[in-house]
Amino acid sequence: MSVGASAAAMTEWAECLLPPAEMPPPLAKEIRGIIGRGPAFVPRLAHAPWVLRAVARHINGFLAYLPHALSDRIGLVVTQDNSCRYCYGMHRSLLRIAGHSEADVDRIVRDSMLVDLSPAERIAVDYARRLSRCTPRPDREDFEKLVAAGFDERAAVEVAADVAAGSFMNRIATLAALPPEPLEAVTGASYFGIIRPFLALGFHKRPPRPLPPPQPNDGPCARVVAALGDSPSAHLLRATIDGAFASPILPTRTKALVLAVVARALDCPYGEKEARALLGSEGFAAADVDHVLETLSSPRLDAREARLVPFARETVRYQTAVIQARMRDVSRELSPAEMTELIGTIALANAVCRLSVLLDAR
Amino acid sequence: MAWLIAAAVVAAVVVALVRSRREVAGLQTRLAAASNALESLQHAFSRFAPAAVVEDIIERGVSTDSAKKEITVLFADLKGFTPLAERLDPDVLVRLLNGWVERMSRAVAEHHGHVSKLLGDGFLALFGALEANPWQTNDAVGAALAMRAALVDYDAALTQDGLPPLAMGIGIHRGTVVAGVIGTAELVEYGVIGSTVNLASRVEALTRTHGVDILVTESVQAVLDRRFTLRAMPATAVPGIPAPLATFAVEGFAPHQG
Repeated sequence: MSVGASAAAMTEWAECLLPPAEMPPPLAKEIRGIIGRGPAFVPRLAHAPWVLRAVARHINGFLAYLPHALSDRIGLVVTQDNSCRYCYGMHRSLLRIAGHSEADVDRIVRDSMLVDLSPAERIAVDYARRLSRCTPRPDREDFEKLVAAGFDERAAVEVAADVAAGSFMNRIATLAALPPEPLEAVTGASYFGIIRPFLALGFHKRPPRPLPPPQPNDGPCARVVAALGDSPSAHLLRATIDGAFASPILPTRTKALVLAVVARALDCPYGEKEARALLGSEGFAAADVDHVLETLSSPRLDAREARLVPFARETVRYQTAVIQARMRDVSRELSPAEMTELIGTIALANAVCRLSVLLDAR
Repeated sequence: MAWLIAAAVVAAVVVALVRSRREVAGLQTRLAAASNALESLQHAFSRFAPAAVVEDIIERGVSTDSAKKEITVLFADLKGFTPLAERLDPDVLVRLLNGWVERMSRAVAEHHGHVSKLLGDGFLALFGALEANPWQTNDAVGAALAMRAALVDYDAALTQDGLPPLAMGIGIHRGTVVAGVIGTAELVEYGVIGSTVNLASRVEALTRTHGVDILVTESVQAVLDRRFTLRAMPATAVPGIPAPLATFAVEGFAPHQG
């Protein structure tokens, strides 16, 4: 396995939490249409179709303005910061398939913040890392530095979208403890040099074109979706949020509670407001929500929510081994479908509450 | 003859090339290992100072990133440790102290705090200093209760080994501090300063006056989850504070209280 030397590669990684699911043929066909037959994670995430769709569309590309190479680098930096073993292995494999030698990949990984980057790109990568960490959240001035560095505003918006997507994907892979893809082994095999050009052809994709903003955009978190403008990422986000809240696996209020807690932990008033609106429509009075957010508990929570609410805050910043052990602990008594939806909801809440910096930025 | 010379030159060049490739490969391996060690170190340091401060120090050798922050400060101290220290063998004493620090630090870390400073037979722990934490005060008092429970277990183990049990006092206060990198090039640490820290220390000392193990101030009581059960202590004069200081003993946590 060619994962090279990095703390992310050596991260202690638990056994996968999700067993492979029997996929309904229409879903299998739909996913094949997006990403082909390849990735091994597909049946593991199929317990909650909206999560699988979101990951597949994420892999298929969702940025029209940000250069591909810079987007890859941002993905790598966010992945290293989150110590995601699965995503790190995938980034390495994709760099190898793109034609980088093992030594080149080591060099890029070793100094991902600097190698082969222009000063403007460094500003973008630095912004990405700060947004990923949110200690504290980058502010309007930070966003303006991106634009001042020469990024078109739409590309600057996509820097934030890329970080949000990386935060989403890292949490899916880490909380589920997705096993490394077989592709990693292929890039380390003796025959890799022969098949690399064919793999490269298979992985080569034209970047998606800008799309008119999604319509209707009247579901939860509509302002964040609108802030993405005509970036294809707006469609990915709208579809993912709608899929999450339409899914019947976990109650809407459980998902809204996760969003509220993550928003409070990330100091995101917009996410909190959206969660409060959802909870209000589920019969939660404002005082009840206040109580939950102040104490991470409430007599109004059911037994499952009483476990999930305090856990949600821990997913904002974490150490991999600790969060995987905690995930295993809180998901006792959850079905694979409930676990998958919980993981997707946590990942989505973390993505939305980071992306909401775009609202501060405008 | 010319053939031989040419062959020798080619062989020498090949040998030199092979050697230099090996050397480069060796250096790359060492560089990768060093880089990995640095990355791990950076992750480890992030548990003791904010990520931005760690990066400043790595990139520029210094950090000027100081800021005012509202945090919760926990002071813990072993009671009656000085006479114990005079009685016990130094090796036993150090082992006993290390066992206490290890268990208490674990309780602090499990409640989203970090031990900022060891002070002989005590320590200073901070909540909300490394990253914003809206639940910092509940976390600090939760940590204090976990420390109380951990000490009960530790004392049982000490007694079994024929060693004397330990007793501790904990003082908790919430307020504003100045946080930043303090010290010289030779000795530097990320720390906090201000009256909040001094007051937490005074409150810890008051545990002896009131005969309790955990005391919190009004600023903690005001924002604390109501499921923590508190008992008001008589206001007491403390050095450096103009008015008598009101404190509350923490009795426990009632999980089912709304």
